[in-house]
Amino acid sequence: MLNNALYRLEPQAGETIDRAQTFTFTFEGRAVIAHPGDTIASALAAAGVHVISRSFKYHRPRGVMCMAGHCPNCLVQVGDEPNVRACQTPAEPDMVVKPQNVWPSLKKDAMAFTGLFSRFMPVGFYYKTFIRPQAMWPLFERILRRIAGLGKVNPATPPDRYDKQYLHTDVAVVGGGPAGLSAALAAAEQGATVSLFDENPQPGGHWRYALPAPDDGPLPDLAAQAEAHPGITVYPETTVLSCYEDNWLSARRGNRLFKIRAGAVIFATGAYDRPLIFDNDELPGVRFGGAAQRLLRLYGVQPGKRAIVVTANDGGWRIAAGLQAAGVSVVAVVDERPESEAGAVSHVLQADARVFWRHTIRAARGAGAVEGADIAPLDAQVRPQFIAGDLIVINIGLTPANGLLYQAQTKISYNEDRAEFLPETLPAGVFAAGRVAGSHAGATELAEGRLAGRQAAAFLGLAPAPPSAEITALAGQKAAGPKRSSARVDVPGSQKRFVCFCEDVTDKDLETAIAEGFDSIELLKRYSTISMGPCQGKMCAANTIHLCARHTGQSVAQTGTTTARPPLAPVSLGVLAGQNMEPVKRTALDAWHRANGAGMMVAGLWMRPEHYGNPPAEVQAVRERVGLIDVSTLGKLQLTGPGAPDFLDRIYVNKWQKLGVGRVRYGVMCNDEGVVMNDGVTARLSETTWYTTTTSSGAGAIFEWMQWWLQSGWGGEVHVTNISEVNAAFNLAGPRARAVLQKLTDADLLNEAFPYMHVRHLTLAGVACMVMRIGFTGELSYEIHCPTGAAHYVWERLLDAGRDFGIAPFGVEAQRILRLEKAHIIVGQDTDALSDPISADMAWAVKLDKADFLGQRPLRQVAQDGPAQRLVGFTMARPGLVPDEGLQIVRPTAAGPEIIGWVTSSRHSPTLNQTIGLCWLPAPLAGQPGATFTIRMNGKLEEARVHHGPFYDPQGDRLRI
Amino acid sequence: MILLNCPNCGPRNVQEFRFGGEHNPRPAAPLAVDNAEWTDYLFLKANKLGVQKEWWYHRAGCRLWFLAERHTQSNQVLKTYCWTARPNREGETCVE
Amino acid sequence: MSFKLIKQAFSSGQPPPMWKPQPLKDRYDVVIIGGGGHGLATAYYLAREHGITDVAVLEKRYIGSGGSGRNTAIVRSNYLTPEGVRFYDESVKLYGQMSEEFDFNVMFSRRGHLTLAHTDGAVRTMRRRAEVNRLQGVDSRLIWPDELARLCPPLDLSDHPRYPVQAALYHPPGGIIRHDAVVWGYARHAVRRGVHLHQLTEVTGITVEKGKVTGVNTRRGRIKAGTVLNVTAGWAGVIADMAGVKLPIATSPLQACVTEPLKPFLDVIIVSGSLHVYISQSDRGELVMGAAVDPFASYSMRGSFSFIEGLAGHMLELFPSLRHVRLMRQWAGLCDMTPDYSPIMGHTSVDGFLVDVGWGTYGFKAIPVSGKMMAQLIATGQTPDLIRPFRLSRFEEHNLVGEKGAASVGH
Ligand SMILES: Cc1cc2nc3c(=O)[nH]c(=O)nc-3n(C[C@H](O)[C@H](O)[C@H](O)COP(=O)(O)OP(=O)(O)OC[C@H]3O[C@@H](n4cnc5c(N)ncnc54)[C@H](O)[C@@H]3O)c2cc1C
Ligand code: FES
Ligand SMILES: [Zn+2]
Repeated sequence: MLNNALYRLEPQAGETIDRAQTFTFTFEGRAVIAHPGDTIASALAAAGVHVISRSFKYHRPRGVMCMAGHCPNCLVQVGDEPNVRACQTPAEPDMVVKPQNVWPSLKKDAMAFTGLFSRFMPVGFYYKTFIRPQAMWPLFERILRRIAGLGKVNPATPPDRYDKQYLHTDVAVVGGGPAGLSAALAAAEQGATVSLFDENPQPGGHWRYALPAPDDGPLPDLAAQAEAHPGITVYPETTVLSCYEDNWLSARRGNRLFKIRAGAVIFATGAYDRPLIFDNDELPGVRFGGAAQRLLRLYGVQPGKRAIVVTANDGGWRIAAGLQAAGVSVVAVVDERPESEAGAVSHVLQADARVFWRHTIRAARGAGAVEGADIAPLDAQVRPQFIAGDLIVINIGLTPANGLLYQAQTKISYNEDRAEFLPETLPAGVFAAGRVAGSHAGATELAEGRLAGRQAAAFLGLAPAPPSAEITALAGQKAAGPKRSSARVDVPGSQKRFVCFCEDVTDKDLETAIAEGFDSIELLKRYSTISMGPCQGKMCAANTIHLCARHTGQSVAQTGTTTARPPLAPVSLGVLAGQNMEPVKRTALDAWHRANGAGMMVAGLWMRPEHYGNPPAEVQAVRERVGLIDVSTLGKLQLTGPGAPDFLDRIYVNKWQKLGVGRVRYGVMCNDEGVVMNDGVTARLSETTWYTTTTSSGAGAIFEWMQWWLQSGWGGEVHVTNISEVNAAFNLAGPRARAVLQKLTDADLLNEAFPYMHVRHLTLAGVACMVMRIGFTGELSYEIHCPTGAAHYVWERLLDAGRDFGIAPFGVEAQRILRLEKAHIIVGQDTDALSDPISADMAWAVKLDKADFLGQRPLRQVAQDGPAQRLVGFTMARPGLVPDEGLQIVRPTAAGPEIIGWVTSSRHSPTLNQTIGLCWLPAPLAGQPGATFTIRMNGKLEEARVHHGPFYDPQGDRLRI
Repeated sequence: MILLNCPNCGPRNVQEFRFGGEHNPRPAAPLAVDNAEWTDYLFLKANKLGVQKEWWYHRAGCRLWFLAERHTQSNQVLKTYCWTARPNREGETCVE
Repeated sequence: MSFKLIKQAFSSGQPPPMWKPQPLKDRYDVVIIGGGGHGLATAYYLAREHGITDVAVLEKRYIGSGGSGRNTAIVRSNYLTPEGVRFYDESVKLYGQMSEEFDFNVMFSRRGHLTLAHTDGAVRTMRRRAEVNRLQGVDSRLIWPDELARLCPPLDLSDHPRYPVQAALYHPPGGIIRHDAVVWGYARHAVRRGVHLHQLTEVTGITVEKGKVTGVNTRRGRIKAGTVLNVTAGWAGVIADMAGVKLPIATSPLQACVTEPLKPFLDVIIVSGSLHVYISQSDRGELVMGAAVDPFASYSMRGSFSFIEGLAGHMLELFPSLRHVRLMRQWAGLCDMTPDYSPIMGHTSVDGFLVDVGWGTYGFKAIPVSGKMMAQLIATGQTPDLIRPFRLSRFEEHNLVGEKGAASVGH
């Protein structure tokens, strides 16, 4: 068990932990004591665990550095979850926490040897090595892959619940620090509804942990005011991830994803510590000012025992005082400013603390953890002096947290005077306030927040715009306020100096890359992989720009920035996915099918019965007796109005004007390229009412297609309604179909009264149905359309009626065989994105002589030139052989087999007891019935024979009985 | 553009809509035009970097096909309106 | 370890630059607009195979800033049409030699490419592709869930998903490659052979006299040239318009994203046509994921939230165990989509103004072969057989390429 008390302090005002309770979790197998409110990292820090991870490339030891969820140094594996930020993740009882990317252990990581070879692994190393012999590359690659990567995925990760919530708000405030809180209050006071998001458990921002500046005075309890305001909803522990057009935000809290539509957005996202580049700048024990303060104030943990504070602003002195007050011995404060520039550094330091003005750190020293620092004057060439200590606090400047502002398309530019990247032009409806906008004093942060809140309300028309004098005055106040950031990003040195912690990129690497020609910031990033790691450049991007500028002799402003890409913080796929929302469409008979042994299949969005156990038997039932299939998935469109025939004439290749009331016709639809889009039957129910079916998958698209033509010029006295789901449909097929149907109706069903290709309104078992006598299967058949609500009832009555006639339900597979025996095509299976109806053996349907219709022009061309390829039937020479669909038809040539066509459909026909199929062939060959050709099956060529027309009942007598 | 203003329903999330491509009217008499004009209609695109007149369909809404003028770089929509046989009047949004 | 690295390790000097800036001349024999892979490869092969070195590559930003530096680097040749398969197969072969040819490791990882079939229709299409591929000598076959489970253990092959996996098209030579390395390799070797590479040089106009191209205008001045090649992918239409040429291209964004690095978890590339997603794990350990092209035409590269939401949902259908894995970065590139999902290569109606565009979502893998073929076309004036099917005039001839089925999500 690790000793929790080593670094834990007496209770601190404002701390988040509940000392009344303790629990344990394990880190690398050892028990760690924690309190509720601790994060994994704070508990580890309390127990004196300084090394938490190993770095990506050189496997160097790393420890908690930022305590703010930005740097990569505290990534750990927690159970099934890889790459967890220990500093942000609450510790929980019995959590199993493990270091990542180490083998066998954090202390003795075998891969740490890579660090020894680092001089042979300069930037671009991978590009320059393992080139010869090429045959070895796969092996090298395997080794490299094993060295890289961080956490592990457990393939047995159990599922979990995630959800999503939409939020609509007048004003979204991102960041609950002083600026964000005052912005929220100001906007709400103007009557706006406000949503305030903050990633921490409580709002308050840096006021929660930073020691106040003496001249700030007492801090108002804005958080309580905001919580109490009826117009404000506070979302704690909620991280805003992205901002897209029209103020469309996403945010995450736990397993919930918020999608937020805001009228205006105020970004008060604050700032985070900026690293200084020096020798061993990432040695465990080097911590940012923010980390030191958070550990102290929020968790009551000493960040170290003997501190060396490196700073360039007054804030560093406040941190030193705070550390001292917490019993940390401050051995030195190293300030790069001359004493004259420092503000009233009124805090009294212990007498033995040494103070260095115009000095900086040169190196962190220590084996595996900080044991001291080399300190040197800024410009004089004197040897640095060593100062012992176990904590180095880096507090030289801030990087404004402007990732979301970038995403919102804010123009951001480098402000030389403040040495920060600050917003220059904000898009309409987007505002910024506080440290992200360069305010660093309590008073200006509050004032800027209030101003932004009022501006947002004004943007929404809720209040008058704040006077411009006020805006100018605030800008002046900001410029005159304390300066937080140093323009210095690095100091001279000679050892490993990491610019990018995630990717282990050093300043030497950058220099080399630039010398090699990667001299623009984007090329530099890609070649060195800098800023491509888990923190996405939060730690390194700003410093990289400075270094790039220096090495290319350009200004920081000229060098520019790289594009900030969403999301702002990594977000799990589970959260993004939410609950599985894949739609499934089921027909009204779905339960019946399943209860009656159907094997179901996916058909687009629908589920359909593929078979009821024995497709050949189902085929036989239809051919010899009678079968019933659920075809409710068909698209069904109703056209009404006198303009319907004109419209159909333009949309279909067929003619419609003369189709009499009560008649049905098969139709083919093409686009203007002459490519078959869909097929189906159309019935004329009355002078002005038409009923059209489409393929199951095409229903939606065809409806939209018709709507487009109707609404863009071809409309006029015709309306189309999509009733696909309003009606169910079944096909009753087989020689005994009439007898079955007759049992449910008194209507005259005899051939003369209800002939083939006719439609009738019939009352079946008391239900008003529309019945079309058509025949995809090749038998006498009735397609019955009834209201979906009555589907189950009608279906069962039909089965009852058919019992004495040997009725059997049949599925999609039997239907496919039946249609193939009749050589009917399936659009999308036998045709593809280039097939025209003439080539696809449906020339009879194409009426080239009618007035303008879709596809007329290219189809005339095809008719004139003759098709190059044709879809025809085939049989196999060798009995019993069924070539799979998709196989190629080849012609042997001297140069090897040449592809001349392919098999689109094939089956064994139980009715004919032979193989039948459809295929594409060159037109001359396709034109000769009986001509032979070869299909390539398992590498062998098998002979097949061209067949014209239906394989079964070529005259169609059985349809007309 | 995340919001698109349906002339009928008002501003809605763009995911409710289907994009219909740039406005590219069909020749009035396809058989009468030459091959170049026909090819232009069938395949060629202005593919403008700038404001483009284009079709949208309110699939999850009122099922209106309408026209939008959108800047293809910023995705900012300048206006949306219904198709009419005659040129649209200024400020007109939908069928009279 | 290479000798050069050892030398670099012990020297205080820097390695030689990959390319050096040259002065911008006011005339070149050949001006190539677009410093992506296609432009740079064309320049390289012009110099290497044909000795034509008075060539300028003009790039408005930096090399590889377009699709060539934004793609997901899938290289394969298991297309649907024989002409497509032949063409891409030649490219895969050239990629195989590239590291040695450039003395620069482009990290071609032939780990195997799997296209899942979730419906019987997809199984049919996969079989069709496998057969066409094999007849062109390309290693490609249909495999069933048992073999799939061995190749990709984390894949959910149960019947729980909405669209259970039925089979897959397995293409062992398919792989991924370091896209930037390809761009830099071509740039370096083109420049070494005398080609001028001008970054931050945007073309703003093209001059045409009497139906013949005479030069280009750039932000840095006018350049005369008798041959101008448009290789600007997403911006192809904008450039063609400068020469008064209209193309059958609509520009749409294609998005992709990566997760945080993970230890090796996925050894193959998985593509699902029905779910419109694909995934591979980079050598750095990140999962690289993408989907189909955006639902509307645009030149915007901001990306959308609906993309990552939809992608995550579909990815978890395939790999439920990835729910904890964090997405780290999303981005978009522009794709020049043609009606038949095939490129447009060769002459236009303006004499001397050539195009190598229409690469849509799949053009990265074609960089070597199209560079080679375009160089041959420029040098000889003759269209090589391999690219004849992709001529611009196929549209007015109504003789499109039937690649729609295989190219759409596969990249
Ligand atoms: C997210 C994504 C994933 C992809 N995945 C794959 C994949 O896995 N496999 C695959 O094979 N393909 C893939 N692609 C497609 C592939 O990236 C492209 O087809 C290919 O990179 C095109 O290369 P290119 O050289 O023609 O164009 P680009 O690389 O786009 O280069 C065009 C260049 O022209 C420049 N330019 C534009 N206008 C001007 C001007 N006026 N003056 C000067 N220069 C100009 C641009 O800045 C750009 O650098 C993907 C694409 C994207 C976006
Ligand atoms: S430090 Fe995280 S990407 Fe560079
Ligand atoms: Zn609407």
